Amino acid sequence: MRDRLLILSVFIVASCGLAYELIAGALASYLLGDSVLQFSSIIGTYLFAMGLGSHCSKYVKEERALGTFIDVELLVGLIGGLSALFLFLVFAWANAPFRTVLYALVLICGALVGMEIPLVMRVLNQRKTAFADIVSRVLTFDYMGALAVSLLFPLVLAPKLGLARTALLFGLLNVGVALWTARVFRHELKNPLHFYLRGGIVLMLLAGSFVAAERLTAWSEKAIYGDEIIHAQTSPYQRLVLTKWQDDLRLYINGNLQFSSRDEYRYHEALVHPVLEKTPWAKRVLVLGGGDGLAMREILRYPQIEHITLVDLDPAMTTLFSTSAPLVALNKGALKDKRAHVVNEDAGQWLEKNNGVFDAIIIDFPDPSNFALGKLYSVPMFRLVNRHLAQNGLMVVQSTSPMHAPRSYWSINKTLEEAGFVTTPYHAYVPSFGEWGFIIGAKQAGYTPPTAYRLPMKFLDTESTRQMFFFPPDMQKIEVEANRLNNQSLVHYFEQDWSRVLR
Amino acid sequence: MELTRRKVLQLGLGLLAGGGAGMALGGCKLLQLGLNIKGYWPGMLEGHWLRGHTQLPAPSVERKVGVAILGGGAAGLFAAWKLVRGGRKDVLLVDGPEFGGNCAAGALGGLAHPRGAHYLPLPSLESRHVRELLADMGVIERDAFTAKPYFDERVLVHAPEERLWVDGRWQEGLMPRTGMDADELKQQQRFLDFVAGLRDKTGSDGRRVFAIPLVLSSTDPQWRALDQLSFAQWLKREGYTAPGLLWYLDYACRDDYGAGSAQTSAWAGLHYFASRGGHAANAEEGAILTWPDGINPLVRHLASVLAPAQRMGGMAVKATEVGKVVHVDVLDVVSRKVTRLVAEQVICAMPLHVAAHVVSGLRDFGYDPAQHALPHAAWQVSNFLIDRFPDEPKDHPLAWDNVVYGSNSLGFVNSTHQLIRQYKPAHSVFTAYHAFANEDPRAVRARLEHASADDLYDVAAQDLHAVYGWRWRQAVQQVEITVRGHAMSTPAPGFLGNAGLAALRALDGRIRFAHADLSGLSVFEEASWWGNQAAEALL
Repeated sequence: MRDRLLILSVFIVASCGLAYELIAGALASYLLGDSVLQFSSIIGTYLFAMGLGSHCSKYVKEERALGTFIDVELLVGLIGGLSALFLFLVFAWANAPFRTVLYALVLICGALVGMEIPLVMRVLNQRKTAFADIVSRVLTFDYMGALAVSLLFPLVLAPKLGLARTALLFGLLNVGVALWTARVFRHELKNPLHFYLRGGIVLMLLAGSFVAAERLTAWSEKAIYGDEIIHAQTSPYQRLVLTKWQDDLRLYINGNLQFSSRDEYRYHEALVHPVLEKTPWAKRVLVLGGGDGLAMREILRYPQIEHITLVDLDPAMTTLFSTSAPLVALNKGALKDKRAHVVNEDAGQWLEKNNGVFDAIIIDFPDPSNFALGKLYSVPMFRLVNRHLAQNGLMVVQSTSPMHAPRSYWSINKTLEEAGFVTTPYHAYVPSFGEWGFIIGAKQAGYTPPTAYRLPMKFLDTESTRQMFFFPPDMQKIEVEANRLNNQSLVHYFEQDWSRVLR
Repeated sequence: MELTRRKVLQLGLGLLAGGGAGMALGGCKLLQLGLNIKGYWPGMLEGHWLRGHTQLPAPSVERKVGVAILGGGAAGLFAAWKLVRGGRKDVLLVDGPEFGGNCAAGALGGLAHPRGAHYLPLPSLESRHVRELLADMGVIERDAFTAKPYFDERVLVHAPEERLWVDGRWQEGLMPRTGMDADELKQQQRFLDFVAGLRDKTGSDGRRVFAIPLVLSSTDPQWRALDQLSFAQWLKREGYTAPGLLWYLDYACRDDYGAGSAQTSAWAGLHYFASRGGHAANAEEGAILTWPDGINPLVRHLASVLAPAQRMGGMAVKATEVGKVVHVDVLDVVSRKVTRLVAEQVICAMPLHVAAHVVSGLRDFGYDPAQHALPHAAWQVSNFLIDRFPDEPKDHPLAWDNVVYGSNSLGFVNSTHQLIRQYKPAHSVFTAYHAFANEDPRAVRARLEHASADDLYDVAAQDLHAVYGWRWRQAVQQVEITVRGHAMSTPAPGFLGNAGLAALRALDGRIRFAHADLSGLSVFEEASWWGNQAAEALL
């Protein structure tokens, strides 16, 4: 009877062992992509670690084999059970060491699982069961357990419970085996009470996590984004996270808010219309950045515009915004419009390679928060843009905040001037961002803000436009350096400006 | 082999950490397994052929020329450019074994990279000839001859310019600061203040003490006396003992002169810091100019003014003054045919150790190779085509120049640094520089001559492996290693008083010399200066 119990535990232990392996592989493919590579390297590492574990099992003294088996079960239950949840948290909080933590966990789990079967065999051997019989029975159940889980995992467990709770469930099974073994063999153990106690603690921990798992993952995401995440994706270039709270849809790129559906119309009306209202002849428009299609949506409202080229680096971004239903609803299918031409290329490279001329150019680049992005706001870059602008055309650049990052804002203005643009700075209040700044650039002087709009607007009218182009005393121009590629003063300004504002 | 548990674990972890057997077995050799490594020894066969005095075929063609320029490096090309710009049409440039010489470039996977020098410092006020060239190229956009010209920013090195790997971490700038004690920092400051003071110092003759081009420096004996010491001796005499500072100064000597501070004249060591007085209206002090393929665009621009008929392949193997002309025999290396140029004037723009085998009667000019030749440094310029950038810490992203503190190599440069891109490009070339300093150059050359590409890899990749470890290998697709056995003359102590060089500089006959060897140190400003001088004399 007792031996049968041990054999049954082999079945469960084998199931759990394979489960952790599958969970780690699935998690890695979900979060890192390239599933063939992830699965193959995880399984390889896991099997190798099992080999290490089997080897180490020989150092366990004969009289301690049973006790060690129970301890190993508890440890596997604890570490394996919490592994998926822990990896989720690591991935949400810190992107970088994820791979290291993943493989460390796989190694530890694998090594522990590798110790199980040799220990069980030795315990059985102590009971004078025929060796041929032990090997045959143990391995039969080992492989049966593996089959059971490999079918259950993708068909039932992963879809129903999710990865975090599946791992916890198997952790509970491991602890169950440990406690049951301790109970049945209590007379052969020196201190069965100690095992009960340890088992109880691990059991409570796992059960508690099982209940809280859903909330914990949601919490880890909320801790970062504040709202529920409806889409998260890591492209080769950036991490895109889409959150939703009631009717508020928000996009974060690398953790920075890009827009909130509640007030993005303010930003995009302010970005697009002061230029397009004043260029009624415009037929060809160029958009740099703006892969969300929201600026494009505003541009498409002008019937005379025939051709819009949008250059955005990341195909993940433009694909997301031309396929996801709520996002397509937000940009009114702008990226799919037949007048829209989406190019996924680095803007600098595209400008160097092509020589089309545009009547209006809308620049919606990410903020100059590092040296690479700072290059997008440089004299050579703006000169390059200048070459693509028609003689009487207008260009506009999103230029950070003249309120919160005044030195950055006026540095961009100065850089545009040095690149040969006559500039007209303005700003608009966008609740999600605060006071936000834009700068219009023209090849000659004489730009005047619109006093009325041909199209109906939600935010812009005569009075709001007048205020946009008025700089009150607390937002006056300051003297700063142009952004030179040699020292990138803009990147330093930007860093210092925001470190003062953000707490 | 009996394995203990500890051994198994160590081996196992080593294997995992190494992603292969590489690190576990403690060598680089395995890391290059399967890597496409090409070695390239420009001019070596040609040079050794000349040295061997092999019998030449008789000239099959004769051609009359006004000015024959022998050598297509910086000096020769600058002379040609200057002459053509000055209205001379009867010019013929003989390329020599490698177009561009130390300014040569190559390409890997469609990406241009240098096979020699990677940068040009902002030109000093004295370097008018360089400013002229840069203005002609459009690199200087305005105010070319003022104290602060306005440069094309695409060519001014972009931030971050340089970083130094100290004890497993990056720091900004190349002077080691991380973890240095107060005395070290004090000595660093003392040195920097001293050389800053030297920049504007003039000698008793009213000239700047350290000027570039070097011949415009003051001849004040008080300062020239520095040439009698090695830089290391001078540093010791002046009480500089801080190890960080001494490493940095040795690095600077190796980087510019191919020799360590103990083999470099103290005058030359200080010249490096005190002569570069250039400024830009739109860059910080000490900025440099660089292109993806190093300074190759400079020589390409120089060559662009030459019509096809004004250039000739092959190399000059014999130059002899015969009455009122100079006979120059030019060997086409492939066809083995010899063309005899009958030139009114010759500008010999080849290294002096080569000229010694080509120009008849070099000793009669006052230059005896046995007595006057400066030591030559051997260099290795290694280009790595990568298809992914290694991870970098956020606070110290990849810089243009990346150097390892304590290394005897010279770090590596990212060729795509100057691109204006939102995200790093899919491919790039890292160029690692190594000067074989602090060992006998002859022994180095004997070794390099027969080295396989694989042997060169260990030297080439040492800094990259120090910084990125085994991950570096994963990023590399192809390697090209250029070996220059005689890359440059090194300004050893006493080089300023070298009578042979002085004699060649003063030549005013049918044969003139133009090469950085005349200065004793190999930088573009010096090479082009001698090209400019020779051309001006003929205009």
